[in-house]
Amino acid sequence: MTLLGVATRNLLRNKFRTLATITGVAIAVFFFMMLRTALAAWTAGADHAAKDRVVTRNKVTLILPLPLRYVEEIRQVPGVKESTYLTFFAGKDPKHSKDEEFFATMAVDHKTFLHVYDDLVVDKAAQERWFEDRRGVIVGDVLAKNFGWKVGQRINLTGTIYPGDWEFTISGIYTVKTKSIDRRSFFFRWDYLNDSLPPRRRDLVGWVVSRVDDAPRSAAIGQAIDRTLDVQETQTLSQSERAFSTSFLSMLSSVLKAMDVVSLVMLAIMMLILGNTIAMGVRERTNEYGVLRAIGFLPRHIVALVVGEATVTGLLGGLVGASLFYLAAKGVMGRFIEENFGQFFPSFDVTPGIATAALTLSVVLGLLAGLVPAYGTFKLNIVQALRRVG
Amino acid sequence: MSEMQGNGAPGGAYRAPQGSAPRNLVKLRGIRKTFWRGKEPVEVLKNLDLDVPEGSFEALMGPSGSGKSTLLNLIAGLDRPTGGTLEVENHDLTKFSEGDLARWRSQTIGFIFQAYNLMPVLTALQNVELPLLLTKLSGPERKKRAQTALRVVGLEERMHHFPRQLSGGQEQRVAIARAIVNDPKIIVADEPTGDLDRKSADEVLNLLTKLNREFGKTIFMVTHDPQAAERATITHRLDKGALL
Repeated sequence: MTLLGVATRNLLRNKFRTLATITGVAIAVFFFMMLRTALAAWTAGADHAAKDRVVTRNKVTLILPLPLRYVEEIRQVPGVKESTYLTFFAGKDPKHSKDEEFFATMAVDHKTFLHVYDDLVVDKAAQERWFEDRRGVIVGDVLAKNFGWKVGQRINLTGTIYPGDWEFTISGIYTVKTKSIDRRSFFFRWDYLNDSLPPRRRDLVGWVVSRVDDAPRSAAIGQAIDRTLDVQETQTLSQSERAFSTSFLSMLSSVLKAMDVVSLVMLAIMMLILGNTIAMGVRERTNEYGVLRAIGFLPRHIVALVVGEATVTGLLGGLVGASLFYLAAKGVMGRFIEENFGQFFPSFDVTPGIATAALTLSVVLGLLAGLVPAYGTFKLNIVQALRRVG
Repeated sequence: MSEMQGNGAPGGAYRAPQGSAPRNLVKLRGIRKTFWRGKEPVEVLKNLDLDVPEGSFEALMGPSGSGKSTLLNLIAGLDRPTGGTLEVENHDLTKFSEGDLARWRSQTIGFIFQAYNLMPVLTALQNVELPLLLTKLSGPERKKRAQTALRVVGLEERMHHFPRQLSGGQEQRVAIARAIVNDPKIIVADEPTGDLDRKSADEVLNLLTKLNREFGKTIFMVTHDPQAAERATITHRLDKGALL
């Protein structure tokens, strides 16, 4: 028997209360991990961004386009291996118009797109069909599965930025090698979009993505691109793909911050629940602590008992919450989120970092929750404590 | 009970030192204790002198509020006097720090309380082992000593029972085992039979007598029970803070 053993035994005094506290802690840890995992999944695109891709956009804002001729000038910058361009289309399928059915639609240069984005996997036959059909489109495997789309199927989208009804034929379905690309995107040929526009809106692209030959120099190459185009009427801002993704996410920064704060509030609630339970136990056991002090235990031993009990409770709650979340994320919940909210959470998976943080915080906050009631026992008057009953 | 040898008696019955009067283990001179009820002082013990010889079994009786428990707490080093000198085993307890006093209590005093005060989540054996957590003994050694103490009180068979599985008398005997497991010089008992029926009270008193006679433990017992006081070699009476 050890002092920690005694602290652990104390958990068995009021089994219902202990169970309720552990459940409370477990729920807090579960939701903490869920929010943290959601945050991590949301920023996964940025985290998994290719290090050798540089994105060049309008210096003023991402919404304003760049002239098509910039693409050729960017290709001439030393260090640039290949460049492609994309335009955000924002089309909607009238048959799938609910908010949660949103998917990204992008017009891309079919000749260069798959060279620069070689983490997209499209079979040879699909590529050939895409090259042959101006209305051809390649769609992500998750999107195709969700909407029941098949290769060769005709799809009609309604344009929002580019109004009208747009007709496409599915040339192929892509999968991905990395987590940087959403498996619910819709890539169609930029020439189809361009040729359909009135002359004043033609030959403009959303942004240019270049593959560079030396990843560590991507920042310097980006600066060289911007210097080259600085004399033109429209200035550019070139960033690594990660920085670009992050700036895109920064538009959602208030939502991300809110999730961040809520996840911490969950843990604060957990600490209060735990602190309250431990304080109740300490009040009920004042007489026993008086006995322990009488037979020679020092104040620090009693503090260790109280803090030990709180810490073990925090750890047990943390383990239960983390285990339940792990099972949920690997099972039904994870699949559901990836398949239905894949545009936000392309990979909803528990990382070792989040699991470690959750367990560490459970233990640390358990310890902190025990400190206030433990401080009360530190000042315990033995004679008064022995007089207390129950 | 080879691990518990009382005043050095090698495993057998206690033998008082020959040829001279036993030394005073507890020596109180001019002891005063004042509590404050708001701004009003309440003098609980008034200029009290007391000697407790080594190996004696002393009872302290008196009406409620006479200061019995306060006096017991002072002798046991749980409280400090307002004035006077308090020597136990040649140590001036008033000069001890809180930490030193706690260590001294763990080595010198065995406590028996009216309400037994066992930890309900620990077995009888674990309750008895509790004071030994403060020693440097190994786990197996602690267990062996706790078993020995339980054997002395006749509860070795019940060592794995929890307090709720024991009768009141058995609980108090476990508490006595806890009090003697460290082989203390002095056992202080505050109303040890107060919560027990006559039969259980007699068993507990027999045990205390055995500890005094066979193992040489000095016992200082506060009681309201005249039959309990009869077991003592000396009975003190306290009234309004003064020994009669």
